[in-house]
Amino acid sequence: MADGRYTRLYRKIDRALRQTPQRAALYRAMLRGRESRNRAVAALPGGEAFRHEVRAIKLRCLDAQDSLVDRFAAKARERGATVFLAEDAAAAIRYVLQVAAACGAKTVAKSKSLTSEEIEINAPLESAGMEVIETDLGELIIQKAHEKPFHLVFPAVHKTVAEVAEIFRRETGEEIPADVDAIMKVVRRYMRPIFLKADIGMTGANAGIAENGAIVIETNEGNARLVSSIPDVHICIMGREKVVETVEDALQMMMAHPLSAVGQPLTTYVTMMAGRSPLGDGDEPRQSHLIILDNGRTRMRKDPLFQDALCCIRCGACMNICPTYGVVGGHAFGYIYPGPIGIPWTAEVHGLEKAADFAPLCISCGLCKEICPAEIDIPMMIAAVKDRDAETHPQPWVNRVMMAAEPFARFASATAPVSNWMLRNRAARWMMEKILGIDRRRTLPPFSRQTLARNMARRGPSTVRNPRHRVAFFADLFANYNAPNLGMAAVRTLEALGCVVVMPRQLGCGYQYIAYGDLKAARRVAEENIRRLAPYVAEGYDVVAIEPTATHCLRLCYAKLLDHGKEAEAVAAKTFELFEYLGMLEQSVEVPPALRGRRFGFHISCHQRPLGGGRHAIECLRRRGAEVEVIETGTCCGMGGTFGLKAGLLGYDLSQAVGEPLFDAFRQAAVEAIVTESSVCTIQLQEGTGLPVRHPLELLKDSP
Amino acid sequence: MDESVLTHFKQRYESLAGVVHVVSEEEEAAAVVASLLGQAKARRVALGQFPEPLRQALAERCAALGSEVVQPPYASADLPGAIDAAQVGVSPAEFAIAETGTLVEFATDDALRLVSTLPRVHVGLFRAADLVPTLRDAAGRVRAFFEQHPKHATVTFISGPSRTGDIQMRLTLGVHGPETTHAVAIR
Repeated sequence: MADGRYTRLYRKIDRALRQTPQRAALYRAMLRGRESRNRAVAALPGGEAFRHEVRAIKLRCLDAQDSLVDRFAAKARERGATVFLAEDAAAAIRYVLQVAAACGAKTVAKSKSLTSEEIEINAPLESAGMEVIETDLGELIIQKAHEKPFHLVFPAVHKTVAEVAEIFRRETGEEIPADVDAIMKVVRRYMRPIFLKADIGMTGANAGIAENGAIVIETNEGNARLVSSIPDVHICIMGREKVVETVEDALQMMMAHPLSAVGQPLTTYVTMMAGRSPLGDGDEPRQSHLIILDNGRTRMRKDPLFQDALCCIRCGACMNICPTYGVVGGHAFGYIYPGPIGIPWTAEVHGLEKAADFAPLCISCGLCKEICPAEIDIPMMIAAVKDRDAETHPQPWVNRVMMAAEPFARFASATAPVSNWMLRNRAARWMMEKILGIDRRRTLPPFSRQTLARNMARRGPSTVRNPRHRVAFFADLFANYNAPNLGMAAVRTLEALGCVVVMPRQLGCGYQYIAYGDLKAARRVAEENIRRLAPYVAEGYDVVAIEPTATHCLRLCYAKLLDHGKEAEAVAAKTFELFEYLGMLEQSVEVPPALRGRRFGFHISCHQRPLGGGRHAIECLRRRGAEVEVIETGTCCGMGGTFGLKAGLLGYDLSQAVGEPLFDAFRQAAVEAIVTESSVCTIQLQEGTGLPVRHPLELLKDSP
Repeated sequence: MDESVLTHFKQRYESLAGVVHVVSEEEEAAAVVASLLGQAKARRVALGQFPEPLRQALAERCAALGSEVVQPPYASADLPGAIDAAQVGVSPAEFAIAETGTLVEFATDDALRLVSTLPRVHVGLFRAADLVPTLRDAAGRVRAFFEQHPKHATVTFISGPSRTGDIQMRLTLGVHGPETTHAVAIR
């Protein structure tokens, strides 16, 4: 039931927002994760290029998956392992129960495995009378606390030392001080007999190597080494997408995984295990069972919108950068698979319904795609989950309002200044909150009766003699309906540098349809804009867009939405950010240092990150002598397009919670103003920091 | 042997809280091991599968210290308890990787894996000539090992002591595996 879904989600957000210490711990974990990751990536010879390599390997191996899985299974069998291809969770569980019954197992020692959690293996084993012990410390804490992991890499990050001490006091009967080292000693002593006596050791696999039939298992604690060596029976449950072709492929995965997760060059223990070795001079047979799980993966591979999810290497980097996950954590933002990539995975293996329960937490900032070591287009997959869910659960009213941003802007512009009076009027805002769902605490930019399109039409064509370039200008909603002067300033700046500028008929970029998940509408807008722009591009025009999200759409989303049609690809190839274009034009121009002595803090809009991360605007200001410092926490400002306009917990409140650390950073930065190119980030930062927020173009006006 | 690679290894391994010893020959390596056994007050030592003359040298040192030795061929009846009871595990690494500070262990007997996992202190010995600069350089040796052993075989990449950050993200060593690790490079 969709209503129940939102009630539950609000309750979870509310609880998370109140749990200040947990939030702080989660934030620290995520911050450290992404900062260490960034440092380690920067130290790599090719930097971010490793992501292309990982992606290339994953795509090649997914392409040949069936034959690689066959080869892997055949090799593993030759080496003495028993291989079982499990169609689904039930088949895998049945198989494990049979193995356990055959060896009379009483205890199963597990090392961390998300795939074993996917099939929820613990409960049936326990029902069959076995004791199941998680041996990864974080998972053990969670198991003893009867909770679900809060974070993929640090499952118990929300537990304080005192809480952990109490958990092990209950377990062991020993008095344990609230001291990490003391707890460690107890844990080691407590776990050792479990390792030594377990009947079955169960692990997942980070990879399977087709060329030699070996599995790869990584742990920092060494628990996987113990459970895969001591017990006579070893069971490995792995998803079929984990099979790679060669040793070299596996080495690349071994590098990418800890690097992306925590910035570690290699996990402390990485085991490549083939067949089952004896223990000492014993000749009793020891068993290795490899369960290769399908559970929807084959279907996923055939689904063009979801096949990319199979590239996931389970590093958790997307969780470390996701702005809302960073506030609410894995208990709210996840089912069994947590975080951004957890949304498509949950949809595919646990059902659309469960995925759609937490998918609304995604604000479509797109940062997960930028950090993903396999460059998975997670935001588009999440959009598809929301889109599919909307077939059976109509979108909440407020989402439909937000998706109607364009008609709303058109109406507000046509009715200005009345509409602007309403936007400032408390009673009207109260009504707007009740009726439309727009948070009344949010200041909205005034609308202009004269749109940029109308200004351009009235003014007539550019009168540039001997033009160097021809530009088709893309305004998006803000520059058209709210800030035509800003749009006009952009046009004039381009003209001053020798461009003929036209503004073709156009719609707004339509990203809100991706964000809330109406892919049909998103395609319609993409088609329309491409239809309008493509003829210009064909004639040699370049497309220049002023809003980062619009550039993002034109360059990265439309082609994908339109099945990589020729025209969409052509427009994408000729689309530039305003400052990227100005930078090219200014290369041969001497600019006076009119901004010398001025100091600004730059905010990078999320959608700008794949476009150069604001580099072009920053360089433009620096060329004029300004001191510009990028101020960031590494994640979103919280606005998430129109997300932060929505009233209440799943909107304004959450957006403020996400933004707080960034607001603090700006307030402490000793800058005269914040500079950003995004119209929506501007609103959030102005409100959050109280500092002036300027568009870089306005600063150019300051200079003669 | 490129000295800069050894320096890189030392730097990386020590950044992982491991200790590196560089010695010129086997007898000296055995002396380093003996002093580490002394420091750890090891009443029992688990040894891996060493080639001669290193095996002999280590055995003599252990005998001189009066430490009880568990070594191949391991009697399966006593396993894994016999290795668990050792305070120190000493085993050879097939090669080492500088950029990641990693010792690479080849094993066709799981008892060998336990020597480097169960005791609180692990000492890994390798030839400095077997040090490679990067992880990618490991591919050839790993492939060859699996080809030489068409049945069971295990390769383990070990980079420093057992570690966890699972309680309030505080890095802590030795939760399950060794708390202290030493890498001895023999020139």
